[in-house]
Amino acid sequence: MNDAQTLAVEVVGVEQVTPLIKHFKLAAAGGGSLPAFSGGSHIIVVMQGAERVHRNPYSLLGSPQQLDTYEIGVRRMEESRGGSHFMHDTVTVGSRLEIAHPVNLFGLDKIARKHVLIAGGIGITPFLAQLEDLHGGAVPYELHYSVRSAEHAAFLERLRRREGERLHMYYDSEGQMIPFETLLATQPLGTHVYVCGPAGMINHVINTARSCGWPDSHIHWEQFSAPPVGDAFEVFLARSMISVHVPHDQSLLESIEAAGVEVPYLCRGGVCGFCHTRVLDLDGELVHNDHFLSDADKAKGNSIMPCVSRARCKRLVLDL
Amino acid sequence: MLVTGIKSKPVYAPLQADTRGRYHLMLGMGVGAAPLLRVIDEMRIGGAQALQHTRVLFVPDAGAANAGAAAAIERFRTAAVGNVQTFPGTPALLEEFRTTLGKSLMGTRLYVAGPESFIGLAMKIALEFNLNKDEIRAEECGTLARRVYCIHCRATTETVRTNIVQCIACKRWLLVRDHYSRRLAAYMGVMVDAEAPGELPPLKEAFL
Repeated sequence: MNDAQTLAVEVVGVEQVTPLIKHFKLAAAGGGSLPAFSGGSHIIVVMQGAERVHRNPYSLLGSPQQLDTYEIGVRRMEESRGGSHFMHDTVTVGSRLEIAHPVNLFGLDKIARKHVLIAGGIGITPFLAQLEDLHGGAVPYELHYSVRSAEHAAFLERLRRREGERLHMYYDSEGQMIPFETLLATQPLGTHVYVCGPAGMINHVINTARSCGWPDSHIHWEQFSAPPVGDAFEVFLARSMISVHVPHDQSLLESIEAAGVEVPYLCRGGVCGFCHTRVLDLDGELVHNDHFLSDADKAKGNSIMPCVSRARCKRLVLDL
Repeated sequence: MLVTGIKSKPVYAPLQADTRGRYHLMLGMGVGAAPLLRVIDEMRIGGAQALQHTRVLFVPDAGAANAGAAAAIERFRTAAVGNVQTFPGTPALLEEFRTTLGKSLMGTRLYVAGPESFIGLAMKIALEFNLNKDEIRAEECGTLARRVYCIHCRATTETVRTNIVQCIACKRWLLVRDHYSRRLAAYMGVMVDAEAPGELPPLKEAFL
């Protein structure tokens, strides 16, 4: 995806739903319907900040049947690189934003015999849209939703009303934990598990499922990593014949884009593999932060996902 | 004539124990006993725990190659496998297989060894329970005789060993293709003399 393919939207609703999460409703700036999407999809919101452009992925949480508005939930990150603070502090009803078309990297398995959904905090958002697809269907499902405390449970009333006994709540403040081992050891054959939440929770679910004998094809997860900060370095783009400085708090992808070179991308979170780029030369080491390349590919060091990964070097040469 | 290089033709590999699984369900027919016993040996070497959660459903081959069947069953029993059941034929085994899958938990691995048509029928049921490639292993051994689905009248002709075959239901002469349907567990049979009625290629044994 490149900015040429973005849609102009207008913010038509903003609601503070928890102390840290704001719920935004976006409508097509020219009126009319927005592009169709399936549960689990995300959009990239392009924000023109004072210093720089932010492009952050957010899951669509509204019903895929209602295309007059898109809904997203934005958690205010403590260590924000600017995107979530921009959304929280400067975006109001009437604000104009650019978004990229929806992409689904976290779809439900269409022939599953049962779905187990596990959400931690803001990780509830992709499930809200998926539940719209599951609700009233023939396939059994259950949702396990873990939050810090009651006041942090975003969209809880909506979930209670719709899901009833299929919703299982866990509050850290009450010392409640999702019983991962019991949950995953007792699922009928043909079940799929989906997890979205903090990195620790995702890793724990993946590891527990595997130790219970689950094959990887039944384990699904989504985590949008914010690009980690690191040391500044120089990158030379061999085909464009330009040199670009990557500051410590900006990602490689963002720096390349700021220099006017377009790189294809979809998720900007190290998941989809779309921005995969060949490394031609390097006088140091790559710092891989993505979930896409295998450990073997990372060790080879001849390619990089510039959306979240960087380099510890003086000079990196990319095939761009 | 067979039209080779068709991607839907199933590919099999020698069975290997997958001890990442928590439960192991084995289906075997006839000479398929040998690969299953080999997997059981691998599991025993890896620690007997997996064998406690292993179940074998087996059909001795009704054909001439039956001499080793009784011995195979005895070997399953002495291999400390938790549960071994034998069946008089494939339909009875598949019925029990379906019931078992309905009660099975995530973490189950399926091993199938036997003739291709037997594997196909087992896979068809496994598919209904949403078992994926990483949960199933199959080793083909025994006859290559095919189940052939008549694309004209939708009847399935069993145990086809020849390049062309007359459909059991509509009596059309069918060319047996490599085009395979996992859902039907059968190869596609297409009328071979549609353009020139009565002009048949020579009948040859192709799937022994």
